[in-house]
Amino acid sequence: MSNPRVTGAIRYAQDVEFDGMLYASILRSPYPHARVLKVDASAVPKSVVVLTLDDIRELGSYGCQIKDQTVLAIERARFVGDPVAAVAAPTKREADEALDLIDVEYEPLPGVFDAVEAVAEGAPLVHEHHAISDNDAAYFGIRPQEGTNICHRFRIRHGNIDEGFEQADVVVEETYRTPSAQHVPMEPHASVARWVDDRLEVWTGTQTPFNLRMDLAGIFSIPESQIRVISPPMGGAFGAKTFVRTEAIAACLARKANRPVKIVLSRYEEWLTLNRHPATIQVKLGAQADGTLVAKRVVCWVDTGAYADCGPGVAQKMGYAAVGPYRIPHVWVDSHCIYTNLPPNGAYRGYGAMQAVWASERTMDLLAAKLGMDPLEIRLKNVLVDGDQFCTGEVMHDVHFIECLHDIAEKIGWAENKQGKGLCVLMKGMQTPSRASIVVEANEDGSYTVYCATAEMGQGAWLSIRKMAAELLGVEVEKVHYPEPDTDIIPYDTRTTSSRSTYMMGRALVEAVRDLKRKGEIGYGECVNTGGLDPDTGQGVASTHWHQGAAAAEVSVDEETGKFQVLKLHAAIYAGHVVNRPGAELQNEGSMIMGLGTTLFEQITFEEGQPTNANLSDYNIPAAGDLPESFTSELLEREGADVHGLGETALPPIPPAIGNALYSLGIHLTDLPLSAEAVLQAIDAREQAKGGRS
Amino acid sequence: MNIHFKLNGTPTEVEAEADEMLLEVLRRELKLRSVRATCGIGICGACTVLVNGELISSCIFLAPLAEGCEITTVEGLGGDHPVQHAFEEEHAFQCGYCTPGMILTTKNFLEENPAPSDEEIKVALGGNLCRCGCYVKIIRAVKRAAREEHVQ
Repeated sequence: MSNPRVTGAIRYAQDVEFDGMLYASILRSPYPHARVLKVDASAVPKSVVVLTLDDIRELGSYGCQIKDQTVLAIERARFVGDPVAAVAAPTKREADEALDLIDVEYEPLPGVFDAVEAVAEGAPLVHEHHAISDNDAAYFGIRPQEGTNICHRFRIRHGNIDEGFEQADVVVEETYRTPSAQHVPMEPHASVARWVDDRLEVWTGTQTPFNLRMDLAGIFSIPESQIRVISPPMGGAFGAKTFVRTEAIAACLARKANRPVKIVLSRYEEWLTLNRHPATIQVKLGAQADGTLVAKRVVCWVDTGAYADCGPGVAQKMGYAAVGPYRIPHVWVDSHCIYTNLPPNGAYRGYGAMQAVWASERTMDLLAAKLGMDPLEIRLKNVLVDGDQFCTGEVMHDVHFIECLHDIAEKIGWAENKQGKGLCVLMKGMQTPSRASIVVEANEDGSYTVYCATAEMGQGAWLSIRKMAAELLGVEVEKVHYPEPDTDIIPYDTRTTSSRSTYMMGRALVEAVRDLKRKGEIGYGECVNTGGLDPDTGQGVASTHWHQGAAAAEVSVDEETGKFQVLKLHAAIYAGHVVNRPGAELQNEGSMIMGLGTTLFEQITFEEGQPTNANLSDYNIPAAGDLPESFTSELLEREGADVHGLGETALPPIPPAIGNALYSLGIHLTDLPLSAEAVLQAIDAREQAKGGRS
Repeated sequence: MNIHFKLNGTPTEVEAEADEMLLEVLRRELKLRSVRATCGIGICGACTVLVNGELISSCIFLAPLAEGCEITTVEGLGGDHPVQHAFEEEHAFQCGYCTPGMILTTKNFLEENPAPSDEEIKVALGGNLCRCGCYVKIIRAVKRAAREEHVQ
């Protein structure tokens, strides 16, 4: 038995150790918004290294899209959990005890905890200025609105929205809300930093080694070549392990201590580090009497918390994902990325697509009902096919929405009976523009080594890349070695996000193997996709490669209590060509289960900025018993087709499939998660509309 | 204080604080990396070990209580256990972080119930969370392990 996951021999970042290593703890603001007046660490014993404002004042600020963050909060703490000091000690216990000896004086300030309120006149400003980052994660035009809490405004202007609605025979309008959620990677954020002379070395579970290196270089004002980032396999990430998390504090402490320093966050601290963007989305959709879509207007309020992180990118993707995979001649979108005094929100499996698809696909069923049309028929009638133009102006290619819809309709038994059943179809973009590069080296013993930045977080990317390499090289997969990504020896890659690795690295790999065969010993290959959107018009190329899927659900509802059961859940994902079938199935099933949690119970609650369910007792994630009785998925393949990314496609369609199943019973819900209480209220509303509940 | 127990069959003595949890001692003093912290409150099962054959969340089990006990971790299964085989054959993991806890729970459960139904498996795994969501294949692995153990 060799699999280190089964023997327990796998080593994550939290397992990295060095002689003389110290353990860090972080002192965090208890206030959601406060001036930090004084930090007094004089009572801390000398054996403990303390990091306070004086140590970091001269360091650069950072942020992958907006440069709005400092290693510790300098003047103001902007969320409950904002780091104000940190310590490192020989044991974790000593470090925790030292935190109690640091005296911090705060002056509480008024805060704002809702994105819609944060853009109202007179709302407290979370940041005075919004400096656009020079990190290459700021890859698109960012439009901060100075003097407001809006750090990015993305627009789509396609056709003429007023004329569009004039042509509509039927118009529906609704507002939807999705709450914050926690990624809950089983392994918390963990990093170890050490300085070897003037070089910084960091072991950290990260999906973004090169973006992290760029930000660290900016913080310490040293060249990127003086920083080495190594990414061991992660115990789950789901978007949480991106950009700078614990690494900058670990590096500062390590420099001051002149010893290696390790940070492993507690479960509570995970809630204070990165969550999913809460969003409010308003949709207005118009169609002609025959069901042809003519106009769609979308406004998104995207709550990025106290620091932007990659929120501008999330808001942009949410903006176009909310249009959906449809031919609509007149589209108008405004998506705002907004600061509040909540913990930062960032990448979360789907990158804004879930929030958008919930709003968009629930609205499709409202429209179908108003038109008296079958929800499947209205989708089939309007869904994009090859050669159609999307609202960004790009012409669609390699799209398979109709096949996905046919599959889910068949599996849910749509033709037999539609009561208690719901459908959803979605499109999700892949990081565009981006670049992947890879090196393949032939070893003397007949094996090969691939040098590749793609991170392993459980998605199985290392095995997929090794399998593809083995096939191209004509050897067994065991003959292909994949060392941990180490920025000293791997070529550049944008990052391991947006389900891009198998597709992009796969293409780079073909080039690398071709180059190797030409040269004999070593080969280099890269894959570049170009495009991007104009932030003011939304015109351009949103994605060079589309993730496509659909889901169907069947529910049964106890009308007396509002409690409902998901009896059947099925998702169909367009996979093109599957590289590793068990891995692809696991990604599909895992996305669906995460989507089920988001639909049924996952929600971070806050009271005046304080998280009130930051533990796995009050915040539930799905267990084995939450699986519906019938739980299936399909990977649609086509002869000679391209590999398609599929790491997150099956998450966003789950909430609307279930929401639409409830709607088929007259239960209309706009806000996630779908609690029994909300269902009961919706049943009451339905009965009242009918003229009273008997 | 010094604590004595049998760890994966080997008599072991470790130093621990009186208020420390077994999880911390196993990781720090004995370098057992298969025992992992996630929730810290005995809910998720990532830190599961067997203490005298009982499933224990080591994150909330005081180390001194292990005095004189027999402790089993996944390292102690040796790699060739039918449950480990079944998990590998069924691809019942992604990141692998929860896998040791899942395997120990399965081993313990199958000793009590050698031919479980799907529903019984779901209940038995209620205290082991997998955020990657591998439950479909984990349930298959439990059933495969039941078959293989039966054959043995």
